[in-house]
Amino acid sequence: MDYGLRLLHVKIKGGIYLIIPSVTEEQNLVKELIDLSTRDRIRAIRELPMSFEEKKRIRWVMSSIKQCCRIILHQHILGCVCLCHSSARQTLELWQGVMKEIGGKFGSSVLSYFMFLKWLLMFNIFSFLVNFGFITIPLLVYDPLPNIPPNVSFRGLEILTGAGYFNYTVMYYGGYSNETLSGLVDYDMQLAYFFTIAVYMVLCGFALIFSMARSFQRNYILAEPASSCAWQLLCSWDFSITNEKAVRQRKSNLRESLSEKAQMKLLTLSEKLKHFAVHLGSWLLSTGLALGCGASIYYLCQYEQQVHSSMEGLTLLVPFVVSLINLVIPLFYSLFYKFEQYSSQRRQIYALVIRNVFLKMSILGVLCFYWMNVVAKKYSCWESMVGQSLYRLVIADFLFLMLGSFFGEFLSNVIGTRLIPRFGVPEFDIARNVLELIYAQTLAWIGIYFSPLLPAIQIVKFFILFYLKKVSLTQNCQPPRRTGRAAQMQTTFIALLFFPFFVGALSMVAYTAWRLAPSEQCGPFRGLNDTFSVVGVWIDDLEVIPGSQWVVWIYQNVIRSEIFYFLITVVTLVITYIFWQVIQGRKSLMNLLRQQIVNVSVFEEKRLLLMLFIERILFCTQHWVYSKYILL
Amino acid sequence: MGNKQTIFTAQQLDAYQDCTYFTRKEILRLFYRYRDLAPQLVPLDYTNQPDVKLPYELIGSMPELKDNPFRQRIAEVFSEDGEGNMTLDDFLDMFSVLSEMAPRDLKAYYAFKIYDFNNDDFICKSDLQKTLNKLTRNELTEDEVRMVCEKVIDEADLDNDGRLSLEDFQHMIVRAPEFLSTFHIRI
Repeated sequence: MDYGLRLLHVKIKGGIYLIIPSVTEEQNLVKELIDLSTRDRIRAIRELPMSFEEKKRIRWVMSSIKQCCRIILHQHILGCVCLCHSSARQTLELWQGVMKEIGGKFGSSVLSYFMFLKWLLMFNIFSFLVNFGFITIPLLVYDPLPNIPPNVSFRGLEILTGAGYFNYTVMYYGGYSNETLSGLVDYDMQLAYFFTIAVYMVLCGFALIFSMARSFQRNYILAEPASSCAWQLLCSWDFSITNEKAVRQRKSNLRESLSEKAQMKLLTLSEKLKHFAVHLGSWLLSTGLALGCGASIYYLCQYEQQVHSSMEGLTLLVPFVVSLINLVIPLFYSLFYKFEQYSSQRRQIYALVIRNVFLKMSILGVLCFYWMNVVAKKYSCWESMVGQSLYRLVIADFLFLMLGSFFGEFLSNVIGTRLIPRFGVPEFDIARNVLELIYAQTLAWIGIYFSPLLPAIQIVKFFILFYLKKVSLTQNCQPPRRTGRAAQMQTTFIALLFFPFFVGALSMVAYTAWRLAPSEQCGPFRGLNDTFSVVGVWIDDLEVIPGSQWVVWIYQNVIRSEIFYFLITVVTLVITYIFWQVIQGRKSLMNLLRQQIVNVSVFEEKRLLLMLFIERILFCTQHWVYSKYILL
Repeated sequence: MGNKQTIFTAQQLDAYQDCTYFTRKEILRLFYRYRDLAPQLVPLDYTNQPDVKLPYELIGSMPELKDNPFRQRIAEVFSEDGEGNMTLDDFLDMFSVLSEMAPRDLKAYYAFKIYDFNNDDFICKSDLQKTLNKLTRNELTEDEVRMVCEKVIDEADLDNDGRLSLEDFQHMIVRAPEFLSTFHIRI
């Protein structure tokens, strides 16, 4: 509700403006507000662009009108409850105070990293609760003691390697039985395992698509280009920064960027060619590096398998090398900016992000390929082996993230302040850190099928990581010097999380469930040809139960038939085309309206001029008539 | 917990809650922040609505505002007398609009008034020049200032009258989704 245009601007003595609603305006306002419910009315009053006195007066007017209604009491109680609920929610919200502190000192773009971390933590908490509740607890209730062979005991090394004692517990796929547990109810472990994982992945997918679409709509479609002067001057200043040095630095950067825009430089042909050659070279270098790392990981895995010794510590070799690559190579990519010139800082960040994504995807791709093609065919209880590999990767990733904080931030700070003052205090590299989070979450998503309790490890990891990064940030880093487009970067990160990382993890799990034969000796799917046949078996069982024919019918004619998917695809394509046409129409309507605004103002000017002109003519005519007849 | 406070009457607290985006706890916390600026001027008993105004110098020395280049304009826009001297109501109103719960249109309205230095309901070239000087520490040359201001008017002025009206400004804000998080002061 926009009341701004209906208020009267009264200029009183001393050049002071008072904005008061004129009597009729106030009556209109009251008339509109009186029809709303209490909650809506309070919200409308809060949104009024008036001073406090006027808002209180409007509120007093409303309440005295409504005083006779008894319903108000009920709604006021509801309003109170709503407020109590919101203040209780504020106290329960995780890390609220810490986020405020970080946002105040470092700005909203650094804060977006921590909010992303919190959001990913919620995914893991949900996953852990679901897995633990539906898969692990029934098994623990039915059979609380895991059947461990007598010569295996708990040593400290299991925490790092995940093998040994852990191998026989409910930590991994192999520890789950394939029976129907009889107790209070008949609980089919196979179905439970399959459906829990499937439903969780589908819900994750929906949550990601939903937040990606919402973020995209808000931050991309309507957005003004960041290179516009108007945006930089009027919308970009961060009012929440309270640090004097940060304010000074932002001012300098704004000055630099605005003065660059004011004098636009054009490049000569030779300079353009030079830039192109440098870009090509650095992209070739980064791509080659990523592919080389992938190939070396593959050969390392093969080597580890050949040297299959009884030394359990050797299994840590691959995870450590993977995490080392993930630590060192992105830092190396960050140094490219010294010789590579991009036209805007945003392009530079996007280039860095693409390179890092390609590196991580190639490593994950190679590992998944190795697990599915080599491990699945060689070992007897191969899902547990894959689960252990993932566990080791997660632990190694955590250790190296801590090391990364040390090198990336603490050492940079020491170097920048004491050894080479020219470098200065480091900034918090948001892109690199967010990609590390995305990579860690992808490992968890891949690992859910093979190790249902992996989210628990992830929860602990993210918790510790939050406090670690916060301390590292406040001790070692300075606030970012440039105001970035935080909202657009947020959209990009969510989109990256979804595709390629989540889609890749989902594809891998789906391929495992669909094509690979489950191991014979262990796990909930032993004895079946593939995991999906669990559903087929269940449907066959359901056919004999009367009253559930509709489920069987849906399975036969909807899920298993190809015609259904074909029809769905055609319908989706048609709907997409229609929406696209609607968008095109709206765009041209927007341009038309914009042109009309210009025309109206031009028209207004012309009308005023015309009126003045007519007035003048009338005046002259009157004067002439007067002089002609009166003076006669 | 909060029922034992004697600073405000229940009706006053309700009015504050309904007219700002703060809860009771936050209103009391803000009252104490207000009082800390000048404990000898601000009484602990607001039930009979004392007429207390804190001078701009005290408001501008708050840690949340002291480094903000627009602190004077912010205080002027939200104060009743237009000079920056704020009563408790103005103080609460200011931080309510600048909090994270205020909607975009309300923030855009007040941001427009802050950038409108001469209070004529339009952001004209002189307003833009003053904004630019506050944001760049007066270090741009005359030519650069003039060119930047011309560019801003070119890009944002829809009705071609050479200055930005509230609608032009709001149109720009709609297309800047970070505005909600940048036009925000935490307290």
